[in-house]
Amino acid sequence: MMPSEAPPRTASRRLYDFFSKISPQEMRERSVAAGLAIREMGVSFTVYSSDENTDRDWPFDVIPRAITSEEWAPVVQGLQQRSRALNAFINDIYNEQRILSDGIVPADVVLGSKNFKKVCMGMSPPFGAWAHVCGTDLVRDIDGQFYVLEDNLRVPSGVAYMLENREVTKRVLPELFQDCDISPVDDYPSQLHSMLASLSPRKNRKPVIVVLTPGIFNSAYFEHAFLAHSMGAELVEGADLFVDHHNIVFMHTVDGPVRVDVVYRRINDEFIDPEVFRADSMIGVPGIMRAWRDNKVAIANAPGSGVADDKVVYAFVPEIIRYYLGEEPTLRSVKTYLCMDPVDRDYVLKNIAHLVVKPANESGGQGLLIGPHATVEQHELFKQLIREHPRNYIAQPTLTLSTAPTYVDQAIEPRHLDLRPFILHGSDVWVTPGGLTRVALRKGSLVVNSSQGGGSKDTWIVGGER
Amino acid sequence: MLSRVADRVFWMARYLERAESIARVAHTFSHLMMDLPKGTEVSWGTLLDIFDVSQEFTDLALPFGEYEVLEFMIASSENVGSIRYAIKSARENARTTRDVLPDEVWESVNELHMYSKEFAEKSVARRNRFKFLNHVVKRCHALNGLMMTTQRRDHTYRFIKLGHLLERVDVTTRVVATVSQAIDSRDRSNPAFDALIWAGFLESLSAIGNYRRCVGPMVEPHSAVNFVFLEPELPRSIVFCLNGIRKALTDLKRHEQALVPIDEALAMLESFDAEKLSPASMHQVVEDLQSCAERLSIITSTTWFLPVTR
Repeated sequence: MMPSEAPPRTASRRLYDFFSKISPQEMRERSVAAGLAIREMGVSFTVYSSDENTDRDWPFDVIPRAITSEEWAPVVQGLQQRSRALNAFINDIYNEQRILSDGIVPADVVLGSKNFKKVCMGMSPPFGAWAHVCGTDLVRDIDGQFYVLEDNLRVPSGVAYMLENREVTKRVLPELFQDCDISPVDDYPSQLHSMLASLSPRKNRKPVIVVLTPGIFNSAYFEHAFLAHSMGAELVEGADLFVDHHNIVFMHTVDGPVRVDVVYRRINDEFIDPEVFRADSMIGVPGIMRAWRDNKVAIANAPGSGVADDKVVYAFVPEIIRYYLGEEPTLRSVKTYLCMDPVDRDYVLKNIAHLVVKPANESGGQGLLIGPHATVEQHELFKQLIREHPRNYIAQPTLTLSTAPTYVDQAIEPRHLDLRPFILHGSDVWVTPGGLTRVALRKGSLVVNSSQGGGSKDTWIVGGER
Repeated sequence: MLSRVADRVFWMARYLERAESIARVAHTFSHLMMDLPKGTEVSWGTLLDIFDVSQEFTDLALPFGEYEVLEFMIASSENVGSIRYAIKSARENARTTRDVLPDEVWESVNELHMYSKEFAEKSVARRNRFKFLNHVVKRCHALNGLMMTTQRRDHTYRFIKLGHLLERVDVTTRVVATVSQAIDSRDRSNPAFDALIWAGFLESLSAIGNYRRCVGPMVEPHSAVNFVFLEPELPRSIVFCLNGIRKALTDLKRHEQALVPIDEALAMLESFDAEKLSPASMHQVVEDLQSCAERLSIITSTTWFLPVTR
């Protein structure tokens, strides 16, 4: 059932053999079985639409994507290096701002960003760690190299799907796990738990950890519940918590109030505390910023971490790594044109048909222009937007994203994909073996977001032959 | 345990019990209507009375026919007293409390929801109705068994038990009240068919086998009511449920106020004897029991659930 194009990568050898021998009938059966498993396990995500929110089954492709452990090891190193540098950067921005006074990164880019939160100035969280959980999007270009596409440092999601994808694959392709040496991924919840526990302001006692969710209508609610459950932590909504006048955070329980030590929040900064940020937030906890500033509670990711999660800052990451670590970056970044820079802007306006233009602050693949796939009218519209608000846009060359065999419409065809590993940053830096692979199910498409017709695959880091 | 989570598991359990009760009663009721000769049937509207949704049904201005009533009780997505609505609500509550429940509970409630979503509408006509109702009852049994065998005996378990038993008290008293009223108000009373109706009533509370073993083969109205109210070892009897609620409450902190209506209800039942009661005073007892259940529900909410104002 495999298309006979380029020879498979070594890591994919066994997968290739397996799926080559399989009949169309069996392929169909395995795919149906995967769909059933997903329904039964209740793996879902929420899609927003104008009239109602609908809960959809998680889109999953049965054919795993494989990467050898030799290929993976340098990626892990590169991600650790990147995470250390970005956290040093955030810590510096909210304290001495050396990198600004040394002129490495322009001050107005950072201080003018909507993700820079003045209220965080002077804070120094444990281990200098701000972005405790980071989801970094990687792609492989035609040269086979991994490139960093973006760093998600605010409330990255997807890790539960990574874990559930593995669970589904074990159910529907159990034979493959006999022959291949696949790194397990199910360690994540315990790694996350011990990282969060290490942040507790009250030492010498078992910390009370909660996962703070915006609620059932959030697209990642499934993940919030999943993580709370697998860590044995409470899943709380804003209304479950309150802060007393000693700046202590409590949760309402049937036995009365219980003090909370660590909040793994999945709410954006803007909504987390109506006393400090948006006053109309119904999902936040009034006073939680007071408690954090007073070191009475730990918040992960720390408020204000998003300052490094800006596509303009992204362009400076190689410099940031050199500045704080005195090392050369080992993971490549994509060449980035800053529209705020006159020379770059000129280039972008002239070459917009070959470039990908991205807003500096958005997520979820919205407000994005893929030049080669867009119409002339769209090109003109974006040129206009860039001229009006140059600071809000960056542009990158269109990469030839790598493809992997994917089962679509009863046939196996190549589809473009990316990869989001997750990085935990506490006293040290830990990277998931693999991550969440997202795949563009539409032929030729480069958009992998599940809200826009993307699917996902189990991701295998495969060791040497047995 | 979070107050909000306690609130939701309580309601998950109530809705599951409600789904099972409706399925069970609708099943028995359908069978009964096939057995009763023409002219001696009780009205299909009785089914609506048991679950206290007559007014909602009347508002729709539909005929009180078998199909209309059963569609309303089984498949309606607007009727808060339908099987489909109860299962959907149970699932919503389970979805937001998965982190305190065993994994299989969520998976099972979710499956039940998907089943009812797909089949409820197709299962109103007699042909598929029994299969559907049986399936719902079996699934609910399996879920109860799952919770009994896997849920740690913690606060979650106590609030599940509380919701489950409180709903049972509610439904059982309603069934007794409605059945006795329906029998009394018929033009042509016929003792032979009354026995049939009471046997059906016991069956709907899964008590018929126990009744025959403990009391005797012939179902006699007063002893049937006494059995269902007072038999301490019968899992659906009022006394059994009240004792279970009492036990769950005493394991919670700050339970004193909540025990008051329970102890009142238990005291009331100590002198209860259906044989000695007129239809009117029987009706009063049922009302008093329901008021106790209602008060307990309110006290539970104010004592342990999330304060409404922040």
